[in-house]
Amino acid sequence: MSPTPLEDQVRDALHGAADPLQRTPFTVTDVHARARRIQRRRRAAAGAAVAAVLAIAVPFGVDMVGPTTRSDVPPATEPPAPRVTGTVRIDPRSAPVSEELAEPLLDLDGQRLIVDGEDVDLPRLYDQLTPYADGWIGINFIDPKNEGAVGVQVLGPDFEVLDEAAPTSHLAVSADGSRIAWAEYDGDRWVLVDRDRDGAREERRTPLAPGPQDGRVRPVGFLPGDAVLVSILDAGTGQESASVVGPDGSTTPLPGSLRVGSASEVSGLLTVQTRFTGDGSCWQVRDAGAGGAEVWRTCDYSLLGFSPDGRHLLGFTDYLTPEGSPTLAILDATTGERVVDFELTGSRTDVVGINPEVAWEDDGTVVAAVVTGGQQYVVRLGLDGTVERIGGEAVDVEPGEVRLMLAAPDVMQR
Amino acid sequence: MGATLVDMGAQDRRHDRSDKDADFSAYMSARQPALYRTAYLLAGDHAGAEDLLQTAFAKLYLSWDRIRDREALDGYVRRIMVNENNSLWRRAWKRREHATDTMPETGALDTYDDGMGGILWSFVQTLPPKQRSVVVLRYYEQLSEAEIADVLGISVGTVKSQASRALAALRARAPQSLDPHASGDDAR
Repeated sequence: MSPTPLEDQVRDALHGAADPLQRTPFTVTDVHARARRIQRRRRAAAGAAVAAVLAIAVPFGVDMVGPTTRSDVPPATEPPAPRVTGTVRIDPRSAPVSEELAEPLLDLDGQRLIVDGEDVDLPRLYDQLTPYADGWIGINFIDPKNEGAVGVQVLGPDFEVLDEAAPTSHLAVSADGSRIAWAEYDGDRWVLVDRDRDGAREERRTPLAPGPQDGRVRPVGFLPGDAVLVSILDAGTGQESASVVGPDGSTTPLPGSLRVGSASEVSGLLTVQTRFTGDGSCWQVRDAGAGGAEVWRTCDYSLLGFSPDGRHLLGFTDYLTPEGSPTLAILDATTGERVVDFELTGSRTDVVGINPEVAWEDDGTVVAAVVTGGQQYVVRLGLDGTVERIGGEAVDVEPGEVRLMLAAPDVMQR
Repeated sequence: MGATLVDMGAQDRRHDRSDKDADFSAYMSARQPALYRTAYLLAGDHAGAEDLLQTAFAKLYLSWDRIRDREALDGYVRRIMVNENNSLWRRAWKRREHATDTMPETGALDTYDDGMGGILWSFVQTLPPKQRSVVVLRYYEQLSEAEIADVLGISVGTVKSQASRALAALRARAPQSLDPHASGDDAR
């Protein structure tokens, strides 16, 4: 078949753009350096990197506690966690290396899911992925030019797409993983979708008030009594308001917030940002069961991520940069008292950050992705002040870059 | 004193390494300008092209000993660049940290802007990465559909459909400028 005029024009256009170029921008030495970097990355990704070297991050005065599990017991019956004095330094390069991570990770570079220490190639990129029925539910990007535009896909065991909807919010996953919620826009309004993980119960769909697509709704977390806390964006002001969506379809606004943080399905507490202070912010813990009444407030932290038992809450720096927070405090959720303070190590010129999209592994440990020294690690932080590095997953990253993410974090601010 | 077996083994390894480096260096010197042009068409800007080609050469270097057919080296580099470029594209929008106020450099027409061709080239850069790869391999590298399918790891049918969609998109983006009967002035 002979080429069409358009094909000829395209051919001419490409030659016109490229043929005048006579560039040899780098040397063999440059290529060797890049090759070494790729090798390092491959080794790290293969899990061969770095043997365990003892190190420590347990400070003086710490009281060790035994392993904890996700608890069904209400917080009031539990003894308070021991306080850790001093600041615990997170140095992933020298921290003890722990066994593989139960929480799945997404490797954005390799389009891989890392689960139970094994790598699974994904057929497409996902920004969030969590087990559902016999397969998965994933959040993927639907528009390469719009980072905020995502959709949901219900997947089979081999990641084949069974059902999909777009545009949607990201997912909220309950602490025990048994409930999954998202919001999807139907053309007139956002609809909250709430499903059980085992797929047994029919999904619950709650239409919210009609509104524009950019008045985005996202499920923040679950509350007692099968309720869901949602945030509703006012696209004009950029402020988020909180609402409780009940199982009967009722919607109860909790006014007076700029941003909605997290919720506990055990205690019914929730967090909201209430003020900007120029270079920081103020947050409140409120009680959804008491009409959103304030429990305590702070201007020292951004409050995100209740522990599964509802007793603890994470405090990041009061102003989060794209890299995350250089510090993380575990606080008593009902009083705001500090249980332990962590600080990420790094040189003065280093970009360091704890990605706030963390996951509580159980009632006493948090898993987080951190960046320091040009590498990203996954670490496990304990209420008792322990720090472990999850073995084999240190990867090179450029400043501002994230490569490893928890597949289903407890904190999702997007 | 004579060399020990250990010394001789080390010498052999150094010799092999030296041969490899010399061969690789010769290949790189000879092919860098031409492969850079392909990289530029795939990436759409010089920074992206340099990154793409450097990564491709680095991966080639790491695999050098395993590639028996030296005639296939260009194809190997092209395959890496195409795959890497698609991945880079994904990364660019995937990583929210890279959502900066400054837009990436695109449509660098510093060497070429004669109206119609420059406009078409700028439209080619707006194509989705896989379509753009097909267009570059087909109309610049002059590869057959089967060869493109091999490079991209897709079927010939998919190559045809991607090429067809790419041409339709180009035609739709600039119907006026692509009208063969339109005057040059109109096209501009």
